[in-house]
Parts: sequence; C-alpha cells; structure tokens
Amino acid sequence: MNNINNYNLLGKIYRYMPMTILFLSVLNEIDFNNLGLKYFSFNFSYILIFYYSVKKSKGLGYGLIFIAGLFNDAVVGIPIGISSLSYLILCGAAAYLRNITLRPSLMKDWIFFLISLFIVNSISFLILTLIFNYEISFLDQIINIIFTFLFFPFFSYIFSFIEGTMIGRVYVK
Amino acid sequence: MEKSRDDFVIAIRSAFLKKETQQRFSLLALIFFSIIFLILGSFNFKSVDYLKITLKDIVYRVSFIASVPENFVKKNYSTLNNHFNLYDQNKKNILKIESLQLKDLTKKIITLENIKYKKLIDDYFIKVNETYAKVLIDKQSPFLRSVIINKGSKNNIKQGMIALDEEYLVGKVVEVNFLTSRVLLISDINSKIPVTLQPGDKQAIMSGLDFQKGVLQYTKDKELNTYDKDLLVLTSGAGGIFKSGIPIGKIKVAENILDKNDKVVHFFKDFSQLQYVKIVSYSKESGTIDMSSKLTTKMMNDKIAETNQQNENLRILIEQKKIAEDIKKKIEEENDILKNENIFLQNALLTEQKINLENENEIEEIKFFKLKKIYAVKCKKTFYNKLYKEGTKEYRNCILKKGIVKN
Repeated sequence: MNNINNYNLLGKIYRYMPMTILFLSVLNEIDFNNLGLKYFSFNFSYILIFYYSVKKSKGLGYGLIFIAGLFNDAVVGIPIGISSLSYLILCGAAAYLRNITLRPSLMKDWIFFLISLFIVNSISFLILTLIFNYEISFLDQIINIIFTFLFFPFFSYIFSFIEGTMIGRVYVK
Repeated sequence: MEKSRDDFVIAIRSAFLKKETQQRFSLLALIFFSIIFLILGSFNFKSVDYLKITLKDIVYRVSFIASVPENFVKKNYSTLNNHFNLYDQNKKNILKIESLQLKDLTKKIITLENIKYKKLIDDYFIKVNETYAKVLIDKQSPFLRSVIINKGSKNNIKQGMIALDEEYLVGKVVEVNFLTSRVLLISDINSKIPVTLQPGDKQAIMSGLDFQKGVLQYTKDKELNTYDKDLLVLTSGAGGIFKSGIPIGKIKVAENILDKNDKVVHFFKDFSQLQYVKIVSYSKESGTIDMSSKLTTKMMNDKIAETNQQNENLRILIEQKKIAEDIKKKIEEENDILKNENIFLQNALLTEQKINLENENEIEEIKFFKLKKIYAVKCKKTFYNKLYKEGTKEYRNCILKKGIVKN
C-alpha cells in the first residue's frame, strides 16, 4: 500500500515536473536567455519543450504551453503571442519528428532541433523586426541559437537521468 | 515519390491536427490563436488593450511571487557580501565624505546660479509629479531590457515619464497598466537618448549596448579623442523628452583612444541592482522678468552669497584642520626622536654602572691579595692554632681587617 502511495506521489511529481519547470523558468527573474554575459545565452524553455514534446507527448499540454508563452511575453515585454507561437511551432516540429521516427536516436533529435531552432527564431526575428520595428542584435540571436543547440544533449541527459531515478526507483520497489 | 509526399502530409497533419485524449485544442488551433493575439495586439482596440492590461497585471504579480525565493537568496547574499566589506567600505566612505562635503557646497552654488540663468532664458523645468516605485520584476530579455514597477495609471503614472535612481537617469515609462508599469532601461538597444558631452558641449544620440554600457550612435563631432579627461554624458533635453542635465554616465578617455569607432558610455548606475526608482515628470516654469521674478532673483542672489560664505567657512575649517594635523605630526616625530635618545642614554648609563661595579670588584681583589701577603700568617689556620681555613669567608674578612677580629 505504501509503495502504491509512493508511486502515485512520485508519478504525480514527475508528471507535473516539466510544466512546473517551464512556468518557473518563464516567471522567475533568472533567465538563461539573458544571463548578463556578452557571448553566452541559451533558451532553456525551447530545450524543455522540444525534449518533452519528442519524448513524452503528454508531459506538456499544448494549452499550458500556449499560456506559458503568453506569460513569457508579458514578463519579458515583447508583443503578446510571439513566444506562444514559437513554442507551439517547436511543439509541432517535435510532434512531426515523433511521427516519422521509428528508431529514436539523440543525434537525429539534435539535428532536427537545430533546424527547428532556425525556423522558430527566424519567424520570431522577422515578426519583431518587420512588424513591430524592434531592433535586435543579430549576433546575440546567433549565439543564443548555438548555445541552445549545444546544451540540448546535456539537458536531455539530465531529464532522462531524473526520469530514470524517479520512475525507476518506484518500479523497483 | 508520390508515397513519400503522402507520408509527409500524413505526418504533418497528425502533428498539427491530431488531439490527444486530454487536449481540448489542436496545435494548429493554438497557433491560430497566437497569430490572432499578435494581429490584435498590433492594432489599438480598447477591449484588447484592457485584456492585455489585465493579463499583464496578473502575470507581473504572479511573477513577483514566483521570484520571492530567488530574490530572498540574492538579497541575503548581497547582505553577507556587504557585511564582509563593511570595514574597508567604512574607511573609504570617511575619506569620501570629507572631500564630498566641500564639493557639495560648490555644487549648490553652481545649481543656484544655473537655475537663475535658466530662468532668465525661460528654460527652467520643475518637477510636477514625483512618485517612488518598487521594482517588481527585473527580468531582462534579449529583445527588451526593462523593469516592471509597482505603480500604474492608478498612481498617475503616464507614458513617457522619466525613471531616476537617485538623480541618475534609468529609463522611460513605455507601458502603463492599472497597477503596474514598464520602464524601458537606457541600456536597451531600442532606447535613443539625446545627450550632450561635457566638457565641449557636443551633441549626440545614445543607444543601449550592454547592461552597463551605452554607445553614441550619432555624434556631430567625431574627433572626441583629443580630450585628455573623461567626458561626462548628460541628457541634452533636445526633443523635449528628457529634461536637460540629467547625468547618465561617462566616456573613458583611455578606451576612447583605443576604440575609435564606438564611443562607449559607462553608466553611473548598475541597472542589475535596482530596487526602487523615482518616476518624475517635468514641466517648464513660466518665468518672465517681472517684479516678482526680480524679487526671486534677489533672494537667490542672497542665498548664493550665504552659501558662498558657508563654503568659505568650511574651507577655512578644513585648512585649519590640515595645519593642526601637520603640527600634530611634527610633534609626534619629535617625540619619537626624544624617546629614542632617552633609550640610548639609559643604555649607556647601565653599561657605565656595570663597568664601575667590575672595577670596584677588581680593586677589592687587588687589596685582598696585597694584604694577604702581609697578614696571611695572622689569619691562616695551621695545626697549632685555631684560625681560619684558607678560601673561606671568615679568612677573607680576617685578611681585609688586617688580622684576627675579636668578637
């Protein structure tokens, strides 16, 4: 009985963990997207959304991702809807990858993530510069994309490690 | 070929249109929602504005609450750091206060004179609205460097008002909600501030570059490298957005020489440490030269004279303090020299005393040996008398007293 309760608790924690992390990263003041370092920044939300959309489609609900995007826009101060659009396009790319993949491999996910990043960032860059007349540093964007791409395997390993330790232990019990 | 295209279409359709069991909207529907939000946001519909304001107010409050643990850690770290640096900081502050006291009075005089002359040319701005606001969220983004403050239209905050930290320019209010507002920092790439460089009175436009830096984008005079002192960057007041003379930062001469293309402005304030800001708006004071303004000018002149007197007094006091310190220093030096001489003489005296003692002992020994030759027979113990054994104290006394001493 105790084991079942533990399973329920850990299962619930694991189930809501990605969403909690996403909302915390969106609402908190610490933003990996802008750490104050000149040549270092990465988009943690993109990694989180892409990873959980590829690996576990139920980990993050589209509706909540949409709301997280709205929150992010409000906090960051950019036109409302841009982050939601970016997140959802990323989800779409991940869902497409999930549908066409028979044998999952990190390398394929990684390469596909890079392509998705280019598409998503290009769209948000074009909308911000052409429609809303924002002045954005192109170099900063490129650096952000490169580091987001480079950090993907690292965070993939961490997320899968958490999954392994939390869920694995429950089943062993 | 046909088959692979079908597969692609099926995969795309499945990805964007398929709904999971617990999902109410498909991905495509939500993407449409986002686009609708963006389109509506670009037009100024009142209902959409109200919706945006409400959403932002809620999100800012939620974000503030979500950031509480992180801010707590940050605040404690900062307190601890300050605690460890307290002693050094205190020493530096004492030195600074002394030099600043004099500067403060000089500044007062210059300010009063400045006000007087500005009134004469009808260009004197006065603060009409001043509110202090707390920084709720300081989340920087790659697109926009801004902070959220806890005052909004409810507190008479209006778009375009200036945000100051102490007297330094921080930014401008760009978005006003009912309970909160957004201040665009001058470090943002989108903020363009008309500035003037002092000395030299050069006009330029400054844009944000970095957290602590700005860059001059349009400078009339490119040859700034001829200056041998750091250049102060102040608001010029051109365009009427900002009041003139608000300090922003400085251009370092050393860097200026190295980097000829970009004139980098180092801000006076650290924008990552903002906790409270002052939101102000200015309006021009109508001041024509009539009887009342003449009276005001006279009053100001009196005030300037009074402040000048204070300044002079303070200068004299500081001079006196300096002289007293010099005298004290000289006396201390003389005192040290005398102390050293005293120690030297004491040592010499001790040495002399020692030598004297040794000499006295020698003299006594010589006397003893001389008397011994004569009176040894009278004092030395033999087998037929009961005198003193040689080498004893009694024998020595006997010799020195020239024979037997009867009790």
